[in-house]
Amino acid sequence: MSMSLTTESTNDGPTVTEAPNSSESKMTSVEKKDKKPDDVAEEEEEEEEYVVEKVLNRRVVKGRVEYLLKWKGFSDEDNTWEPEDNLDCPDLIAEFLQSQKSAHEGKRKASSEGNGDENKSKKKKDDTEKLRGFARGLDPERIIGATDSTGELMFLMKWKNSDEADLVPAKEANVKCPQVVISFYEERLTWHSYPTEDEKKDDKN
Amino acid sequence: MPTKNVADDRISKFKNKGKDPAKLRDKRINECVELRKAHKDENFLKRRNITLSSLPDEEALSPDHVLDEKVNSLTIEDIIKEVNSDSRESQTRGCQAARKLLSRERNPPLKEIIDAGLLSRFVEFLGMDDEPTLQFEAAWALTNIASGTSWHTQQVVEHGAVPAFISLLASPLLHISEQAVWALGNIAGDGPAYRDALIDCHVIPALLARITPETPVGYLRNLTWTLSNLCRNKNPFPAVSAVQQMLPSLIQLLHLSDKDILSDACWAISYLTDGSNERIDVIVRTGIVPRLVALMGHEELSVLTPALRSIGNIVSGSDLQTQMVIDAGVLSVLPQVMRHPKASVQKEAAWALSNIAAGPCKQIQQVITCGLLPPLVELLRNGDFKTQREAVWAVTNFTSGGTVEQVVQLVQGGALEAIINLLQVKDAKTILVILDAINNIFMAAEKLGETEKLCLLVEELGGLDRIEMLQNHDNEMVYQAAHNLIEKFFNDDEIKELKVDTTDDAFVFQTSEAEKTFKF
Repeated sequence: MSMSLTTESTNDGPTVTEAPNSSESKMTSVEKKDKKPDDVAEEEEEEEEYVVEKVLNRRVVKGRVEYLLKWKGFSDEDNTWEPEDNLDCPDLIAEFLQSQKSAHEGKRKASSEGNGDENKSKKKKDDTEKLRGFARGLDPERIIGATDSTGELMFLMKWKNSDEADLVPAKEANVKCPQVVISFYEERLTWHSYPTEDEKKDDKN
Repeated sequence: MPTKNVADDRISKFKNKGKDPAKLRDKRINECVELRKAHKDENFLKRRNITLSSLPDEEALSPDHVLDEKVNSLTIEDIIKEVNSDSRESQTRGCQAARKLLSRERNPPLKEIIDAGLLSRFVEFLGMDDEPTLQFEAAWALTNIASGTSWHTQQVVEHGAVPAFISLLASPLLHISEQAVWALGNIAGDGPAYRDALIDCHVIPALLARITPETPVGYLRNLTWTLSNLCRNKNPFPAVSAVQQMLPSLIQLLHLSDKDILSDACWAISYLTDGSNERIDVIVRTGIVPRLVALMGHEELSVLTPALRSIGNIVSGSDLQTQMVIDAGVLSVLPQVMRHPKASVQKEAAWALSNIAAGPCKQIQQVITCGLLPPLVELLRNGDFKTQREAVWAVTNFTSGGTVEQVVQLVQGGALEAIINLLQVKDAKTILVILDAINNIFMAAEKLGETEKLCLLVEELGGLDRIEMLQNHDNEMVYQAAHNLIEKFFNDDEIKELKVDTTDDAFVFQTSEAEKTFKF
């Protein structure tokens, strides 16, 4: 189907016709006063067909409503404002208006507060992981405490020639300094008390 | 039996026996303190942001360890002397010492280094391609200064670091190039002004040129983070041309599997979609939406969060943009996100749903069909307040754009009861949104001729009492809205009679003592 709405002017501006397959883009006859695409510059005498791809925006100029049109086959640089009276693409206009409507009714943009979850805007580069435990390359002196609050058994190790003790996994200590570990346990051996003092003495032998 | 001496010797080795109680107590206290300290240090170290990268291992140093480990921490005075000397060796030594001070955990002396006038020298060092160690130390030092406040970053920029860093991006030494990426990330992250200044210096092509199939993961992590800072900030947004330049690489990065890369790439997208529908269009046209929807279901919170934010932003756009998100399967991922253990995730999911529900009834139908009503009602009942607030918006939007049948389904799903229970919240805005929803539901009921039944239903749910009470609310809009509701729908003298149900319409407002679920 080919329709063209002619304007009053007898200007040999191009006529816009409907692309056969597209249900969206309707035809519009338009006086393209401001811009003509390069490849039709020489053919101003003939009727050219231009297809509206999309309605992008709306404005009111001197009381007249105009729409910003994206032309099919042309880049965004060729977009033009056309008076609504010249247009016959109600679907595209409706789609545009609907998109505007949804933007105001119900749709809510992100709150500017943000969540504080955002990734960091600046980062300091720290020293690479501080050497600790056996990695410090020091010799174990003695174990002075133990804890399993991390989920695994850790010993607090006093190192030779250092005042700073730190935690080492028991598993590692058992292999690397078994005697030190044994000393630790031996120091802490306790015997449970039994009913009589005499029996206690005997047990301690 | 052993002799007394041997027994004594052995006994004295035992933990507690034969020891002076005071000494024992002291020993216990010291031990506790040491344990606590070591534990604290360990946790402290765990919390640090350690990024694996191509960077060489550095020996750990801290002022606390002065005595035991190999140390050469110089004072700032010494550093100044070294850095200003003519010997490359001294300069390197001084620069490295400065870098170490600037990398320490507690109170790195950013201002002192700046005040010592060292920045110009550091920037000079950046240009010494024949002295890579010096370049690297200077780059690291300047990175950390730029990681401070805006003032600190400004000092770095004003000493001419930017062109030097951009040149360093092309260094054949990966660890130096990577350090430059990091520094530029800090500068870009300061705000839109420096971000745009960097863009004007053509930082983007220089960065993108570093992405190759051989680029190590650690490098890519830093690079993605820096790119995200170039996408960050509004007022103004980054130029569309800059965004267009970065997008293809961002898309590439979004298809990798490293969680840190994915997280920062998603943050970049979330910044870019946090704007007008035109901005959203730029992103959506890349075809990245399905990948974002998939990442919404990622097991890592650090990936899920920005992916969800991005999707939430996109569905705050046009109906068309929202449809693309629905077509990508968001409605099947959303329920599990709405049940996520973290409250802020639930909230963002509810917000996204509220925007989808603000669309045309065709989309609302998809929301229903994909089973989003039950999780929504769950959030209304059990979510924390911020989540409930978003869920309430979802309900209101639903009632505003939905068909009568869709509104009926909403009520049958328990949403009306849930929002009535929320009428007792303090937040006036939320109350208004709820009253709006109730109003819309009544309008749907009117179309069915079921207004009286709905009144009874609302009354049974305790809604009438609450709305009547709201007529005394402090907030003017609230008491007006409550009053209007009562006037409009509850003041009819004939309402008490239940109409005989002669219609074969399946949607009938009913009250039933026996049934908990209300059919209407």
